[in-house]
Amino acid sequence: MFALTPVEAEALRLSLRVALWSVAGSLPLAVLAALLLARAHFRGKSLVDAALHLPLVLPPVVVGYILLILLGRRGPLGEMLENVFGIVVAFRWTGAAIAAAIMGFPLMVRAIRLSMEGIDRGLEAAAGTLGAGRVWIFLTVTLPLAVPGVITGVLLSFARSLGEFGATITFVSNIPGETQTLPLAIYTFTQIPGGDAQALRLSVIAVLLSIAALVVSEAIARRAAQRVKGHDIKY
Amino acid sequence: MLRTASFALLLRWGLLALFLGSAPRAACAQNLIVFAAASLKDALDQNVLLFERSTGDKVVVSYAASSALARQIENGAPADLFISADADWMDYLAKRMLINSATRVDLLKNQLVLIAPADSPVEIKIARNFPLAKRLGGARLAMAQPDYVPAGRYGRAALQTLGVWAAVENRVAPAENVRAALALVSRGEAPLGIVYRTDALADRSVRIVAEFPANTHPPIIYPAALTARSAHPGAARLLAFLGSAQGRAIFRKYGFQD
Repeated sequence: MFALTPVEAEALRLSLRVALWSVAGSLPLAVLAALLLARAHFRGKSLVDAALHLPLVLPPVVVGYILLILLGRRGPLGEMLENVFGIVVAFRWTGAAIAAAIMGFPLMVRAIRLSMEGIDRGLEAAAGTLGAGRVWIFLTVTLPLAVPGVITGVLLSFARSLGEFGATITFVSNIPGETQTLPLAIYTFTQIPGGDAQALRLSVIAVLLSIAALVVSEAIARRAAQRVKGHDIKY
Repeated sequence: MLRTASFALLLRWGLLALFLGSAPRAACAQNLIVFAAASLKDALDQNVLLFERSTGDKVVVSYAASSALARQIENGAPADLFISADADWMDYLAKRMLINSATRVDLLKNQLVLIAPADSPVEIKIARNFPLAKRLGGARLAMAQPDYVPAGRYGRAALQTLGVWAAVENRVAPAENVRAALALVSRGEAPLGIVYRTDALADRSVRIVAEFPANTHPPIIYPAALTARSAHPGAARLLAFLGSAQGRAIFRKYGFQD
């Protein structure tokens, strides 16, 4: 019926791989960053906050270009990674994942932070009076209560990764099988005379993928909210 | 407010003004729009500058892969003049009656070269079955997209003739146009690349490692023609200027042949 051509299957598989890994990789960092912004008070906090939000407001091409300068084969970080660890991210799906992770990071941090700020500090204090250490409080009180925010953050970042184009094509180019995610594949077909049918097919796939992601995350979010609040979330 | 009669009147006049304002003006007041292959960038810019100074026409050039430009023209882009890097894309538009075939001329010729970053010590001789894949190692060969972009097609044809394509096919970093491929090598992202000789000459950060013999690929010819829908009187003037002694001299200065 709706059979995928090899090019489409490859783009889809790559998009999912890049998005999943970018989210998985940035989640621990995002949780820590959100905790820092929600709980800590220090000089320059607003600067850190602003810096974390940069990828959200900068043109994606700029983010991609900065990544290229830093992590490209001749960039300072890129050369270090290659010489010390043997890792090359230029032209590789790992580079695409890094670009997607950075673009989605502010969204993830915001959502988690919002959730953390809404937690009743009294619960954490109570756990403290019962003898729990800071880390234990975080793991058993703060984090479980912040799960709805974490889920929202993961979803937002995942969706952003699926749709990431500018930073990806600038940093790791458009290589089928390595960095040609769905948006890049669609773009490629729009540059080819007679490529409209294929661009349309890929667009349909992108829409279906996004809907699936939304539906799944909505279900998970409801379940989590039920556990946290004891009732279903009302809109 | 949305329901008052005065707003409806305002809306109607506003739409009318918008409609009238977008009607075609006297041709000279509009820009002359040229769609040109990416490899023409520096040479054509200079020619256009001279042309603007001598005639007073305002020219705007859009550089991209010839395939992308052909597609844009097919979809109704308002180009007056089209200069392609191969005959195929010009033929594509001619078949669809989108260019003025009477005005079509073969403007320029070019050559294909293998390049490396300027500080790379690599030495390669281009011959049948030359060890390109081995020289690339784990890195990629930068070239324009080999399926549609002229520079990529010429490159693939050359590598196929030399019996080397099968080995490097999966090691290619396909770029949107030949200048993007040039940039990849220029930045050191790719250790080797295939571009036109004129592109290599235009960028100090790359050096020519070897030249592909002309018999390994179809002749590189740049046809130029006015588009069928062009109404700008300056378009024919510009095409004539590009083909004139002065125009050709500028192109030759950048390494093109004619």
